[in-house]
Amino acid sequence: MPFYPDQRHLLEATTIRRERHLPEFTAGKVTVAQNVSVNIREIVARGSIASAYHIIEAGQSVRLKKNEDISEFLLIDLNQIVDAGTPLAARPKQRKPLLAPIRGKVVYASGSRIIMQETSEEIQLEAGVEGKVIAVQTGRGVTLETYGTLVQGVWGNGTLVIGQLKMEPEVGLDHIFGDALSMKYRGTIVVTRRALKETGLVTMVEQGIIGVIAPSMDAALIPQVQAHTSAVMLTEGFGDIAMSALTFNLLTKFADRPTTLDAYTPSRWESRRPEAIVNPSSRAGEKTAAPKINLALKVGMQVRLTRLPHAGKVGTVINLPKSPTLLDNGLRVLCAQIELVSGERVMIPLANLESFGQ
Amino acid sequence: MSVNRSGSILAVDFGSVMTRTVLIDVVDGVYRLVARSENRTTNDYPAHDIRVGMNRALQAITEVTARRLLDEQGKLIKPEKDDRSGVDFLVTTASSGRSLRTILVGLVPDVSVASAIRATAGTYVDVVDVITLADGRDDQGRLNATLLNRPDLIFIVGGTEDGAEAPVLELAQGVRLALSLLDRDQRPAILFAGNTSVQPKIEALFDDFAQLFVAPNVRPSIAVEVIQTAQRRLAQAFDAQRSLRGGGFEHIGEVSHTGIQPTAQSYTLLANYLGETIQGKGVLLLDVGSAVSTMSAWLDGSVTTTIRTDIGLGHSAMNTLNQIGEAAIARWLPFYPSRDEILEYVLNKTLRPATIPETLRELYLEHALLRAGTTAMIAAAMPIWRKTVIAEGDMPPFNLIAVAGSGFTRTGSAGFAAMLLLDAAQPTGITRLLADPYGLLVALGAVARVNPTIAVQVLDSSGLEPIGTCISVSGHPTPERTVLKVKITLESGEVIKQNVAGGHLWVYPLPAGQQAELDVRVTGRDVHIDGKTRVRMTVEGGAAGLVFDGRGRPLPLALTPAERAVQMPLWFSELMGLPVSEIDPQWLVASATAEETPVVASRKKQEKKQRQPKEKKPKEAKPRRGRRGSGPVIDIADEDRFDISDIEDDDQRDSIMSELDELRR
Repeated sequence: MPFYPDQRHLLEATTIRRERHLPEFTAGKVTVAQNVSVNIREIVARGSIASAYHIIEAGQSVRLKKNEDISEFLLIDLNQIVDAGTPLAARPKQRKPLLAPIRGKVVYASGSRIIMQETSEEIQLEAGVEGKVIAVQTGRGVTLETYGTLVQGVWGNGTLVIGQLKMEPEVGLDHIFGDALSMKYRGTIVVTRRALKETGLVTMVEQGIIGVIAPSMDAALIPQVQAHTSAVMLTEGFGDIAMSALTFNLLTKFADRPTTLDAYTPSRWESRRPEAIVNPSSRAGEKTAAPKINLALKVGMQVRLTRLPHAGKVGTVINLPKSPTLLDNGLRVLCAQIELVSGERVMIPLANLESFGQ
Repeated sequence: MSVNRSGSILAVDFGSVMTRTVLIDVVDGVYRLVARSENRTTNDYPAHDIRVGMNRALQAITEVTARRLLDEQGKLIKPEKDDRSGVDFLVTTASSGRSLRTILVGLVPDVSVASAIRATAGTYVDVVDVITLADGRDDQGRLNATLLNRPDLIFIVGGTEDGAEAPVLELAQGVRLALSLLDRDQRPAILFAGNTSVQPKIEALFDDFAQLFVAPNVRPSIAVEVIQTAQRRLAQAFDAQRSLRGGGFEHIGEVSHTGIQPTAQSYTLLANYLGETIQGKGVLLLDVGSAVSTMSAWLDGSVTTTIRTDIGLGHSAMNTLNQIGEAAIARWLPFYPSRDEILEYVLNKTLRPATIPETLRELYLEHALLRAGTTAMIAAAMPIWRKTVIAEGDMPPFNLIAVAGSGFTRTGSAGFAAMLLLDAAQPTGITRLLADPYGLLVALGAVARVNPTIAVQVLDSSGLEPIGTCISVSGHPTPERTVLKVKITLESGEVIKQNVAGGHLWVYPLPAGQQAELDVRVTGRDVHIDGKTRVRMTVEGGAAGLVFDGRGRPLPLALTPAERAVQMPLWFSELMGLPVSEIDPQWLVASATAEETPVVASRKKQEKKQRQPKEKKPKEAKPRRGRRGSGPVIDIADEDRFDISDIEDDDQRDSIMSELDELRR
């Protein structure tokens, strides 16, 4: 029976379909139509997060009589945004009208009650990739299709940035120094193959780096990284894990290219992943296949090893034994024999292998 | 017993990590399990469709049985055709995906709302707010609570059958007003299970306004609670919400005979069946999953089901850590965790929930998380079980514990499962341990909705995997002194005698399918097996055999990593019959930041409480498994033993007794 490993895509050229949605519980409006092309910075939807409601007992202020309804005395339209202090309702010739207690919109007026909702800050949703709108989800967002390079990670700090991709210098991210004239990393997304340290975060701020793609970092840094305005994506996990050569080499190939780094924080309820998308410049419009969904593990397949002591390493499947293997720790599970780049051969549980996609 | 064949059944359970399928049909005149398979659940990237994983699992069944289940388009063949391809019935359950965000609305927290909360057990419900007339909020506060919590469901209860209607209506009208501010497609569903006389008015308020479910009053009178129909309506609401959220659930729901039922309801049904069948003291079904953990306990004729979305080994690993804290996990480690080691382990597990440990150190971390999470679940359920608890802090004497979830059942060895269960659940008395590695219980719970007889037949004929039978000593056995005198009479007539020392485990490898007559005497002060000092009964074997646990209850787990580094590998070797796997001495070097875990404030006091012999060096560790492996028995001189009655000072004795009680709690 075939085993289908998890896929964490590392694809040089592929069709990428992504839903770009306003945050859950946001009331919004899609601003682009189906089948139109959008650029990386284009706003595809606007919305606002639900804000508090205020109930205004208007009967006394407007001196409502029996069988009268407050809607007859409204001075503004429903859903009209008004400032605090704006007259909301009054009887004809009433000298002191009922005033809005807050800035917001009137969402309900019936009987003797008016309900206002506070205004909230507008959220603008950028396309994030150059591509085409292939579906519109009314009020929520769009599905975009693009072609390009896809590098998926395992964790992000919840920030999306768009910038030029740069490789860290040989000495590492922590050793980038420079003054205002030579800050060649300002506004860029920097790839480091070493675990991200606190000093790296300092460098990011000092150098104006807007994003970092790192293999791993100490879990203790999470609060700091989450507070950062720059995007941070991890490709391997938490701890001190080096970036796989395959990932680093692919990213190196696309140095200096405009890249979208969507450092999404994985959620239990969303099937989205943190990822970097490098849009092609010359292949725009060129059709490439979408990633295969049914990709069974087979001999010869390149895989990523996800657990210690081999976390982050890449190897090739050389054998798929049919019976479970006894691991050193006493567990007996189905394994694949993997040949690492070093030539070492190891038995790895099938559950701990990831495919890079095809 | 033969039956009329009423059709073949395919049961599919969509878990957070695995999709499990079970094919049931008549074989030799009886409904049996024909085949089962599993594959990864695929509602996540890149498939975004649960049908992909289900179809892979069905193809695996076809490979084994040569019975075609999918047509050329990859759709389930239904009903079954003359060539025996396809199935007649599809029943589906799910625990994957987001819980139903629910607001409870009722009159009195301690009455109808309390019943509503009990009704939510069995469905994946996340109660985000409770609105009552006594909650201290004004209309505006309740309006904001209703709207800003963005519920999927509003569950309205309240009013006894002869009670006043107005207060319930007032609350319902408040809900109606709030929902009128939302677009139709954004309105949550309503479930009404309050005063029946108000029902027509509720229907008038919400019909054609929001999806409305109605159930009989959950609290028709102060003394009576009726929650079964409300639970079924909650399951329907769960099904409706799943279908709305896409990911293929909407298509599955259309072809399933039962819609998509909450997995946990299967456990409730099966716990009840098993409880009634074995007529023992109690049955416990325990499933520690990746995102959700479920526990159904049958005690004294009724079932209580606990669903914990904050306890899990994969998706919910981080929630588990947040819930129980690092100290609770470190308590099960035979080494000093390095700085952030537990946190990083848990984070990586959350990011890749299906992965399994490869190193011994990571295995200890994984099993510490499992033990601590299970212990926390049981501790939270204890107040409900309390009336049957024989001693404060002890588990009720469950006759049967069935366990599911990869952490317990996918270790490749029944001994692992037994060890983990004994540590985490700390069963008392004589307990039959069963494993459910392929989700049979969940499948049969779903099948029971189509035909209960079929579920019973399959359970009887195919059954669960027997781990073994455990005989556990309660109380505090004196370490290294005989606590159990065991006599086993095999079916062949052969007799095996063995003494088991306090603080140790001994296993007799009685295989599955074999029975033996057991005669066990308990020796020592204040120690017993389910309140008795002699037990004679027939017991059944299992893959792990008969396990005699002389460690005592509560389990005397050592307080320091160094002590646990001796204790835990020894227990494991005794249970598995393997040589002791020594802990790397480097692991016992505390790092600058990893202090000894302060399990309790005063270690000295704790040591006294656990009656560890003073200055006693860990004895040479040898495995003590097997029918003849008695292991060393070291007598401790009477004067070295601690006895509470030796303390002359009444105050001091009372103080220690109260601390002991506190510790047991």
